[in-house]
Amino acid sequence: MQPIIDFPHSMWISQHTIRFAFKEEISHSNFHAVQAFNRFLKQQLQHHLIESVASYHTVTAYIKQKIDIERLRTQWLEMQASTTIDKGTNRLLKIPVCYDEEFALDQKRVMDFTGLPFEDIKTLHMSKSYYVYLIGFLPGFPYLGELDAKLFVPRLQKPRASVSASSVGVGGGQTGIYPVDSPGGWNIIGKTPLDLFDAHGKEPFLFELGDEVQFYEITKEQFWEMKSKGV
Amino acid sequence: MKPLLLVTKLGVYGSLQDKGRFGYRAFGIPLSGPMDHRSFQAAQRILQHHHDQTSFEMFVGGFEFEALADGVYVLTGGHSTCLVNHVPIEMWKTFHLTRGDRLSIKGVHQGSIVYLTPLGGFRTNDELGSQSYLPLGNLGTCITKGSILYGQVSSSLKYNRGLYAPYRPRFDSSITVRLFKGPHFHLFAEESQRQFLQDPFQFIGGNRMGYYIKGPTLQLQEMKDILSEATQFGTIQVPQSGNPIILMADAQTVGGYPIIATVHEEDLHKVAQMRMFNTIHFVLEET
Repeated sequence: MQPIIDFPHSMWISQHTIRFAFKEEISHSNFHAVQAFNRFLKQQLQHHLIESVASYHTVTAYIKQKIDIERLRTQWLEMQASTTIDKGTNRLLKIPVCYDEEFALDQKRVMDFTGLPFEDIKTLHMSKSYYVYLIGFLPGFPYLGELDAKLFVPRLQKPRASVSASSVGVGGGQTGIYPVDSPGGWNIIGKTPLDLFDAHGKEPFLFELGDEVQFYEITKEQFWEMKSKGV
Repeated sequence: MKPLLLVTKLGVYGSLQDKGRFGYRAFGIPLSGPMDHRSFQAAQRILQHHHDQTSFEMFVGGFEFEALADGVYVLTGGHSTCLVNHVPIEMWKTFHLTRGDRLSIKGVHQGSIVYLTPLGGFRTNDELGSQSYLPLGNLGTCITKGSILYGQVSSSLKYNRGLYAPYRPRFDSSITVRLFKGPHFHLFAEESQRQFLQDPFQFIGGNRMGYYIKGPTLQLQEMKDILSEATQFGTIQVPQSGNPIILMADAQTVGGYPIIATVHEEDLHKVAQMRMFNTIHFVLEET
C-alpha cells in the first residue's frame, strides 16, 4: 500500500492560474507527490488545462476557465484509495560526459572547495542516478537532484559571460546541463556530446520532467566521434 | 509567402509576435506573444481576422519601412506620429501602402509599444507551434535592419475599417493596476506589505522579459531562500535589492525570487505600455 498523499494547498495566482503546493522542501517524496499530482491534473482537467509547470514542491496549472477545487480534492483522494493508481513510468537516460580539463572549466575551483582529487569528483558525480526535478531558466535546462553532499560547491559569484551549450555543471545541491550557449554561474566539470535542445528536431528536448538520469564517462576521442555522428 | 516590407530603420526593439507559444512552458520555453494584448487584439478585429495573425511589435520610435508590394495595414498601440511618404496617417484605422511607399513610425506621445499588422498577418516559419520571436534559444525569426517582412497574398478590404476614437485605449502616465497576492506575500515585512499596496512605484526600464520598478525597498521578515517555482507574465518578484521586477511576455517559466503578487490579466496591457518614470499604483483584487 502506498501512503496517501494529502491534497496539496491550493491558491489562485491569477484568473487562469492555480498553484498547488506540497511541503516546501527538495525531497524524493515531494518529487513523487508532484509527479503523481501533475499526472492526475492532466487526466482530470484534460482540455480545460492549457499546460502545467511542476517544480520541487508545486504544480502550477494554466487553465482555460475556473475549476472546482473541492471536486478535485475528492477525486484525488478517491484515486489514491483505488488500487489501480497510475504510478507512471520514468525514463532512464544514460548521458555520456567527457570530464577532460578542456571542458571542465571549473576543475580547480571544485577541487579546492571539496578538497577532493578530480578523479573522486568524477566518480561521485557518476555514482548515483538523478531525477529531473525542474526544467527552466533556459529552454530545456534540467535541474538534476540530488547531488552527493561532498560535491556541494556554491555557484560562481560572478557568472560567466558565456557557457557553451552541453556543458555539465554543479551548483549547490544540484547538477545540470546547459542546453544553449548562455551566461551562467554553475561550476563546469564536463561536457556531453548530446544536444539538449533542437527546435527543429523531431523531439526538441532531450529531457522531460521526472526522467531518471545517469552519467557515464567518455574520452575526448569518443566525445568528438559521438559529436560528429550526431548521436 | 510574399515580401511585403523592407525594414530600412530599426528603433529600440522590434519582434514578430503571434498570440504566443503555448504548451512548452514545462520545458522552460517562455510563452511570448504580445505585450499589449488589447492593442494586438484590436488590430485583429479591425482587419477581420478570424484567428489571431502575426503582428510586428515595436518599442518605438524610429522605425522605417519600404513597401515591396501593395498592401493594407493597421497601426495600433501607443499613440505615435506615423507617416507615409512624410504625410501623417491615423492609427487604429486601415491604410494602404503602394509599392515604393515609405512608412515611418516616429516619436510616441502616449504609451511605448506599437503594433503594425498587415491584412492576413505577417508570415514566418512556425517554431514549436508559434511565429513569436524569442531571443533566448533563438526561436522564430530575428528582424533587423535590412530584413524583409513577409505576408500572404491576400485580397484587399472593400472599405477602410477602424476603431472610433472614443474606443481607443488611453495610456496614462500614472496607472493603477489590480493584483492578486503572491505565494510569498506573507513572508514580507508588514511595513513592506503596506508600502507595496499604498505607495507609488516608478517604471525605470526593462524589456520583453521584465520591467523594473522602484519605490520603497521591500524586505522579507527574515532572510529566506525560497524554492524555484512557476512564474508568468504579470508575476511580481522581489530580488534581494528590494526593488520589484514585473515579469513580462517573455517571462522565464520558473524563478527563484519571492513572488509578492501577480498582476490581473486585464491590466497587463497598461503595465506593458508604461514609459520611463511613469508611476504605477497597486490595489489588491479580492478573490
